[in-house]
Amino acid sequence: MVNSNANALGILFPNSYDSLVPDLVGERLMASIPFAGRYRMVDFMLSSMVNCGIDNVSLIVRKNYHSLMDHLGSGREWDLTRKNGGLNIVPPFADKSVKVYNGRVEALSNILDFLRSQKEQYVVMSDTNIAANFDFKAMINEHITSGADVTIAYSKEEIPASSRQTISTNRGLYYTLDVEDGIVKEIYINPKDEGIQNFSLNIYVVGREFLIEQIHNAFVRGYSYFERDIVAPQLDTLKVHGFLFEGYIARISDMKNYFDENMKLLDDANVDALFSPSPIYTKIRDDNPTRYIQGAVAKNIMAADGCVIEGEVENCVLFRGVKIAKGAKVKNCVLMQDTVVGEGASVEYLITDKNVTISAGKEVKGTDTFPVYVAKNQTV
Amino acid sequence: MAKEMIAMLLAGGQGSRLYALTQKLAKPAVPFGGKYRIIDFPLSNCVNSGIDTVGILTQYQPLVLNEYIGNGQPWDLDRLYGGVHVLPPYQQASGSDWYKGTANAIYQNISFIERYNPQYVIILSGDQICKQDYSDFLRFHKEKGAEFSVAVMEVPWDEASRFGLMVADENDKITEFQEKPKNPKSNLASMGIYIFNWDILKKYLVEDEADPNSENDFGNNIIPNLLRDGRNMYAYHFDGYWKDVGTISSLWEANMEVLDPEHSGINLFDENWKIYSRNSGMTGHKIGSDAVVENSMITDGCRIHGHVKHSILFAGVQVEPGAVVEDAVVMGGTVIKAGAVVKHCIVAENVVVGENAVVGAMPTETEKGVATVGSGIYIGDNAKIGPNAMVNNNVKGGEEQW
Repeated sequence: MVNSNANALGILFPNSYDSLVPDLVGERLMASIPFAGRYRMVDFMLSSMVNCGIDNVSLIVRKNYHSLMDHLGSGREWDLTRKNGGLNIVPPFADKSVKVYNGRVEALSNILDFLRSQKEQYVVMSDTNIAANFDFKAMINEHITSGADVTIAYSKEEIPASSRQTISTNRGLYYTLDVEDGIVKEIYINPKDEGIQNFSLNIYVVGREFLIEQIHNAFVRGYSYFERDIVAPQLDTLKVHGFLFEGYIARISDMKNYFDENMKLLDDANVDALFSPSPIYTKIRDDNPTRYIQGAVAKNIMAADGCVIEGEVENCVLFRGVKIAKGAKVKNCVLMQDTVVGEGASVEYLITDKNVTISAGKEVKGTDTFPVYVAKNQTV
Repeated sequence: MAKEMIAMLLAGGQGSRLYALTQKLAKPAVPFGGKYRIIDFPLSNCVNSGIDTVGILTQYQPLVLNEYIGNGQPWDLDRLYGGVHVLPPYQQASGSDWYKGTANAIYQNISFIERYNPQYVIILSGDQICKQDYSDFLRFHKEKGAEFSVAVMEVPWDEASRFGLMVADENDKITEFQEKPKNPKSNLASMGIYIFNWDILKKYLVEDEADPNSENDFGNNIIPNLLRDGRNMYAYHFDGYWKDVGTISSLWEANMEVLDPEHSGINLFDENWKIYSRNSGMTGHKIGSDAVVENSMITDGCRIHGHVKHSILFAGVQVEPGAVVEDAVVMGGTVIKAGAVVKHCIVAENVVVGENAVVGAMPTETEKGVATVGSGIYIGDNAKIGPNAMVNNNVKGGEEQW
């Protein structure tokens, strides 16, 4: 068959790390958190997979996934409306009671039959808490040439302060790696080290047959986590390869960092790094271009289509359809879709969720270390 | 299953009066309003009016248009039965012909129309900017018991002689048709949008084709023939925004009117009548710290570091520091380098305007030209393009063109 596609299928876990940003996932999940003006978190890994020739992608959802279904639709915007493969959303299986999975082992054990029936030789797995233009092709190639059983992607990053401070494991496990000549020697779970680490991206390449066997064995033993319970204990017997990803990364780890990662995109160099070499696809909303009305002042902003700006706006990321009325002053804010800032209102260091209205004349201010968050559909 | 009404969209026009802009694409594919192309308007009107079957008649430079239309998905016109179809002239057993005129284009596609067995056919034109509810037009057509209706606009009497005019009685029944007359008897200008009962249209198309002296044109042949036979013909009054963007100055003007929806009547921001288009897929646009943006429309992928005033920028336009863009229409992917001045002009797609180059000039008492730069053109540093220039070839650094 003539085919330039990768010999791999993709699996995404859209609910991973929901607990890091409880406010943002009140009515959604990690994958559908709006990011970078016109995208959702899931767009980055999904587009990266598609751009690397992976056209069979499953999303194993856990809960709160209406917004994700709405966003993805048939998968057309990502070119995943395919007869063979394409987009596959796997909801929890409602038997006598709805069983919600914990960890990747349970999630994957639900789709073992599906995995058995596929043809691709490799499986690529990822969460959706990372926005990156990820090169899955290079990673799969390294996996093949190194002859590894498992390849883990990692980056050189500091562990976010908020992760280091929390003691509870309920907020999601994270891992750092000890890598020597490309071989992963040790996996550390929730370490508190300072400074640059080999920070796991939780992106894996494994053989499909190998994965089925491992998941089957782990599930009957009651294990939950792929990294902690399968890979880490078998580092002696398995060949686990580390793939260093050096591209731009925006990792969502808490509200403050969500704000900062958006703000970082006001630097053109960061936007260029995140959105190249390949395009990131997203749902089309058919907004009109953004209109700057006489009297508007805009400095250092990133804005999506559909905005109408009459007031002053500085150092902001504006999502689609944001309206800033006459006399309003908006500084250092991340305003999500269809936020309205009324006449004469003044806001600083604010994150507004979808459809928020700041009434005329109101003043709302956070600080650079603690931006104020206004939940979906609220009026201030 | 029969369709009540299908649309036939005439998109074959070369648009020769748009010169530099239509060297490589047909007029309906000319970009408009920041993220649209002209054809988005009739297509969006169709789908917003409930028409789900559209034939697009093309023959001049159809490449860009074909690719743009694709399967019609951006307009929701990818349908199992119906949807959008691009209809170029084709070879038949009896021979092959280019479309000889607007009526002949429809005549050659009678078999396409018959597949849907419609009661009514609406004929649309691919070179107008207009938001119109065709279902209201059809309601009028049915209420009047018409066999043919034409959408008309009232135009000022002193301009009437530039148009095809419909003379109608108090019931809107058409009694006479005047094509660009010296002494107009009416100020109802035809918009070139017609609804026909299909049986009537077919009969007159066949009859017209048989006439060797006919120009095979709706305005010059079909409508006079209908009048001659005393058919039930009615004029449907349309009073919304309508603009034929067949010339550089009217295209520029219509773009500028988009910037002032409160007064011009062309509102692209209407949630209830969206204009759909194929999206660029670029990231949100960026306005730099030292940029000034006044009264303008800016879309995805733009990077603004200069001064943009009363202008429309399409996807991916870059304005470097110190550059000035005023009263300009700048199409997708164009780069305006540092210190360049771009005023009162249309710059097509993927143009590079070199450092400190000057394109166009603000109008004066005697000089109101709209400079036009064709797509893919490179204008060298310090070059100067005069307000009446029509640039089709690269301009070297320091050269002048008027």
